[in-house]
Amino acid sequence: MFSVYKKELQSFFFTPFAYALAALFMFLFTYMFNTSIARLDSSTFRFTFPEIFYNLIFFFIFLIPIMTMRTFADERKFGTEVLLMTSPVNVLQIVLGKFFANVTVFLFMLLGSALFPIVTALNGEVIVSQLACAYIGFFFWGCMFIALGMLISSFTENSIIAAIIGEIVMFAFIFLDDFSQTAFMSQFPKLQSVVYAFAAQPRFSYFSQGFIRVSDLVFFISAIIVFLAWNYISIEKRRWNRG
Amino acid sequence: MITIENLTKFYGSNRAVNNISFTINDNEILGFLGPNGAGKSTTMNMIAGYLPMSGGNVTICGTDITRDPVKAKSNIGYLPEIPPVYPDMRVKEYLAFCAGLKKIPAGKRRDEISRVMDLLKITDVKNKLIKNLSKGYKQRVGFAQALLGDPKFLILDEPTVGLDPNQVIEVRNIIKSLKKGHSVIFSSHILSEVQAVCDRVVIINKGDIKAMDTIANLEKNYAGDTVLHVTVKGAKGTAASVIELTDGVKEISAITAVSDDTFEFTVVLSGDADETRTRLMSELIKNNIQISEIYAEKPDLENVFSQLIGQSTKPNGLKELLDEMGPAPEGDFIADTFTEKEEDK
Repeated sequence: MFSVYKKELQSFFFTPFAYALAALFMFLFTYMFNTSIARLDSSTFRFTFPEIFYNLIFFFIFLIPIMTMRTFADERKFGTEVLLMTSPVNVLQIVLGKFFANVTVFLFMLLGSALFPIVTALNGEVIVSQLACAYIGFFFWGCMFIALGMLISSFTENSIIAAIIGEIVMFAFIFLDDFSQTAFMSQFPKLQSVVYAFAAQPRFSYFSQGFIRVSDLVFFISAIIVFLAWNYISIEKRRWNRG
Repeated sequence: MITIENLTKFYGSNRAVNNISFTINDNEILGFLGPNGAGKSTTMNMIAGYLPMSGGNVTICGTDITRDPVKAKSNIGYLPEIPPVYPDMRVKEYLAFCAGLKKIPAGKRRDEISRVMDLLKITDVKNKLIKNLSKGYKQRVGFAQALLGDPKFLILDEPTVGLDPNQVIEVRNIIKSLKKGHSVIFSSHILSEVQAVCDRVVIINKGDIKAMDTIANLEKNYAGDTVLHVTVKGAKGTAASVIELTDGVKEISAITAVSDDTFEFTVVLSGDADETRTRLMSELIKNNIQISEIYAEKPDLENVFSQLIGQSTKPNGLKELLDEMGPAPEGDFIADTFTEKEEDK
């Protein structure tokens, strides 16, 4: 597992890929940060980092599929899948190795974003507990979407298609929340509560308000496990169906 | 030892490999022959544990590949048809990654990597990105990967495709040198290569095993009638009747005009070829016919091959076969000699 992890990290960090992605993320964060500060002219308006993260979620719908699109699609495209499958490692180890590598890149991006709270803390005041909760929430939210993006990458050998489908699916995930609030859905309160339970966005907003709820943690962790398991099954299934 | 029992593969309702069984002994190089689409790569993918089989068993050094894939795969070095290389990695990095995948202890990795790089002569490109390498080098990097960790069983799917003639010979010598202490299965559609390297061959077509034997036995049993090429000067009609009436001549299958007064007869012999040949020559001399050339078509694997996969054994059968098998790769000696022969005519 470790060699797959290492190789994936090399493919991110020995190429401009991870840096370009992190730069894009930093650019978005800077933009949000600066506009928020610019609006601080009245004493009644205040800005919080969790709020920035909350807005960033919408940008991440585009960033995460770009990060995960190559994961399995390129292995198939270049025929290197054969190498992985005929090596003395099992598919689960391959999936986990790749997942942790993607998570590492995600952490690298989050690390870059820590610059802003540090600068703010030097010149003002940061509510550390709330910020930490927002980071935790954002981390889990990102891991879930990484697992989802990898799953979609395992469906196709075209990485661009994987990215586009990933964006659509993640967008749908975000809008489950809005969908569950529609007049149509409120006709069926039971169904509405089920759909709402699957919405990731309101769960993240609890984190950004400084709450760590066990139910939210369970939701994110089980979603990650489901997507990774599905990923494993999808790869095994394709080998069986091939032809 | 590697045992393959009743291996079958269905793609939907289409049967790609049909109930094949064979074994590969220790210290043996087994050639795996067949035209394109015969099921060679499918079979090799199944033996390597990449594709699951629809039925049957593959046992590698005593381990069933479906029961304990990790243990079985640790004894396999596999070079697939397309070398499984990452274009964005350097050769050294790539081999280090493969060494890790194959669970070579960290302390031995560096020695092992330099060993395979020396063996395949890729040390001078070790710092290059794989995407910048030529096809032949990529092929050798893929081969180096298969040799990492010195696995007991090597599966080589057309290892010499894309190499230049010198490299082909080098790679063949490497394969020959691997015979000791390894079991090798080696697929190819280049017959001369199989003849040069392998101890035994398995010939497969449309998913069925057509023959499985040593090369010598195959030639003896399947080669069929000897074909003689006689080139004579002048007197086409007389020569034809003399040849036809000689004892032991089955038929004249073709007459080609080499020039205005020189003709080449393609003669099919039956029975003892050597005796007939002597008799034929003395008959021709007796009738004052000038012989400018006479040679026998050597019964060899080509004929066996074309016969077994249902092609005609006429001299141009192989040509057709090669055409059917797609363009010949560089360094394909058979194709080369054949074109020369064609031009000579």
